Amino acid sequence: MAVSETVAATSPTATTPTPRTPRRAPRGRNAAYWLYLLPGAVLFVLVIGAPLVGTVYLSLTKWSGIGDPTFVGFDNYQRLLHDDVFWASFRNTVAMIVAMVVVPTVLGLLLASVLFDVIGRRFKPRTAAALRAAFYLPQVLPVVVAGIVWGWILRPDGAFNSLLDAVGLGALRHDWLGDPGTALPAVMAVMIWVQIGYPVVVFMAALQRVDPELYEAAEVDGANWLHRFRAITLPQIRPETFVVALTCTIAALKVFGPIFALTRGGPENATNVPSYFAYYTFFKKLQVGYGSAISTVLTLIIVVVAAVFIGMQARSERRDRGF
Amino acid sequence: MQRFRRIVAALALAATATTTVAACGGGESEDDSGAKTLKLWHYEGENSAMGVGWNRAIEIFKAEHPGVEVRFERKAFEQIQQNAGMIINSSEGPDIMEYNKGNATAGLLSSQGLLTDLSTEADKRGWAGKLSPSLQTTARYSDKGVMGSGKWFGVPNYGEYVTVYYNKDLFERNGVKVPTNMAEMTAAMDTFVGKGVTPLGMAGAEYPAGQLFYQLALSRADRQFVDNYQLYKNPVDFTADPLKYGADTFAEWVRKGYVAKNSASLKAEDMGTAFIAGKTPMIVSGSWWYGRFKTEMKANWDTFLFPGNTLHAGSSGNIWVVPENSKAKSLAYDFIDITLRPEIQDLIGNNGGVPVAADASKISDPKDRKLIEDFNTVSKQDGLAFYPDWPVPGYYDVLVGGFQGLINGSKSPDQVLDTIAKPYADGVKEITGK
Repeated sequence: MAVSETVAATSPTATTPTPRTPRRAPRGRNAAYWLYLLPGAVLFVLVIGAPLVGTVYLSLTKWSGIGDPTFVGFDNYQRLLHDDVFWASFRNTVAMIVAMVVVPTVLGLLLASVLFDVIGRRFKPRTAAALRAAFYLPQVLPVVVAGIVWGWILRPDGAFNSLLDAVGLGALRHDWLGDPGTALPAVMAVMIWVQIGYPVVVFMAALQRVDPELYEAAEVDGANWLHRFRAITLPQIRPETFVVALTCTIAALKVFGPIFALTRGGPENATNVPSYFAYYTFFKKLQVGYGSAISTVLTLIIVVVAAVFIGMQARSERRDRGF
Repeated sequence: MQRFRRIVAALALAATATTTVAACGGGESEDDSGAKTLKLWHYEGENSAMGVGWNRAIEIFKAEHPGVEVRFERKAFEQIQQNAGMIINSSEGPDIMEYNKGNATAGLLSSQGLLTDLSTEADKRGWAGKLSPSLQTTARYSDKGVMGSGKWFGVPNYGEYVTVYYNKDLFERNGVKVPTNMAEMTAAMDTFVGKGVTPLGMAGAEYPAGQLFYQLALSRADRQFVDNYQLYKNPVDFTADPLKYGADTFAEWVRKGYVAKNSASLKAEDMGTAFIAGKTPMIVSGSWWYGRFKTEMKANWDTFLFPGNTLHAGSSGNIWVVPENSKAKSLAYDFIDITLRPEIQDLIGNNGGVPVAADASKISDPKDRKLIEDFNTVSKQDGLAFYPDWPVPGYYDVLVGGFQGLINGSKSPDQVLDTIAKPYADGVKEITGK
């Protein structure tokens, strides 16, 4: 506030002898605020805006990456509509949303609640903290490293099949990532393992800001754990739930690293996703225009999803405040 | 205005002085353009056959070009693969560079005018005479960037080909003889299967499956098929032999247990390490494994050409290219010339590589000699048929996906051929406009 007043005082409006009108003063302050936005805006234009405009332009061209692009209008988008691989990649994205958003959020809620409300109370808080860290550990690993290690585990002579042998289930041995029927579920299982720690940590942090008296009062009234979970935990941490759902959905829509490390979209496109498809088209097939069209559509979908989530969150907050 | 003139005059004077000083270096070798530096990039490992050969070539170059500084930079393969276009289009690029052969790489850059036409040098310095027609294929590109004809845009000095590596100890233990034709090959594999051993290592998630399919197809193919498939001379029918034979036989080999059904997700590295560990009697793969097996494998092993074939997957190795922006072109030509000399060629051969113009009798290790003799046999009979994923960009992943389906049994050979036919046709249309 002090800074903005200083800026306002040196502005022409402030030095003019004319007395300030109540209407003009806020405009002066607004102008000062814009100044603070400038570095961010410049960075945004350079790092996000310009590449985005470039990608949209390239999506309207045919280009191999060298020489001059040829403008082809909306040909690439028309081609996308009839591309089976493109649609298959989006179907796989739905599976990724299940694996990276739905399951981790639901499981994360339950785990956080149990760690906070049960483990944290019956054992030392350090136990809950250690378990929380254990769940978060896969998030610390570089995703490509995790992908390679899971690739070893799931390969035909890998640890998972050896484990099946060891427990007498050798008949279930399988080439998990090599069969189109099991590759996607296997990748989904890996993604659940990768993602689960994130909601657990966020939800546990959220639970710590909930007034303990609410839980105590509920317990006095005879509410069991499930009642407390539904009546207190869920409504109290709704803002964090929105944040987790939004960030995980965006991560699921643009997932690339684990697919690249585990399956490269195979077998037979069973695990292909839009970002890998865009990469493959762009860099491997050297169809830069078409790859840009895929990226543009993906960006558009992410922006729309983010806008919908943020809108829902704002509406929920307004409702909570009674507006 | 007067100050501007003074600046121009000063610059002109400085330029003249620089030229004069450069000219004073009498007796020192330099480029036509007066270049005193050769900026050279390649991506071979220091201890690899090519790395050893080219280090020596740099020493010879320096001795023959006193006063010329060689600024060598070792790059990563991917670094060059993905950025070559931008790099050599700038003033920061090298004067000579190792680059990937093929339509989507060297062909693409040549069609955009980014590479120097080496045709005159190839004739003048006799490079054309040292390379067989199938080796020259990857050196020459048409105006559209299609390999096989047109001007010289690159020069290879080593080769590679697909052969059969076999574990001699496992062969002896199971009473199997080295096969010399396809009937003996299948009999050998039957023997292994009968003893509970999967005879052929495989890696469905990478190139080995496509290469085995191609080797099988090539057993029924002729040069005309290779020209049609690789150089688009005529349309290719994927529903007929030799491609149909390749896919059908591949499926049959999986069905008979010659190839493991659960190898669809394995990578080439898995296949190689299983062979090194003595778990697999045979693998069909490229000569690029040779040095590694020689270093790491404890069991006795050797190689034989894919039985019965006159055509084999293989080609020249990567090529030396001279960017159009090179400031030391004639120095670059001199360097290429040195790498083709017998001394360097023999050095590559004696370090486990496959030189293109080596005298096999100069290779001391009998196993190395056999590798080179086999290559010379293939090369002399014009038997290098390139690789199945070469014809169109991105075809590698198409083949991997298709043959994963054949290994895990989720697709029939006809379905796989359909799967790989369309991207081929689309890609060819993209390149040729037909």
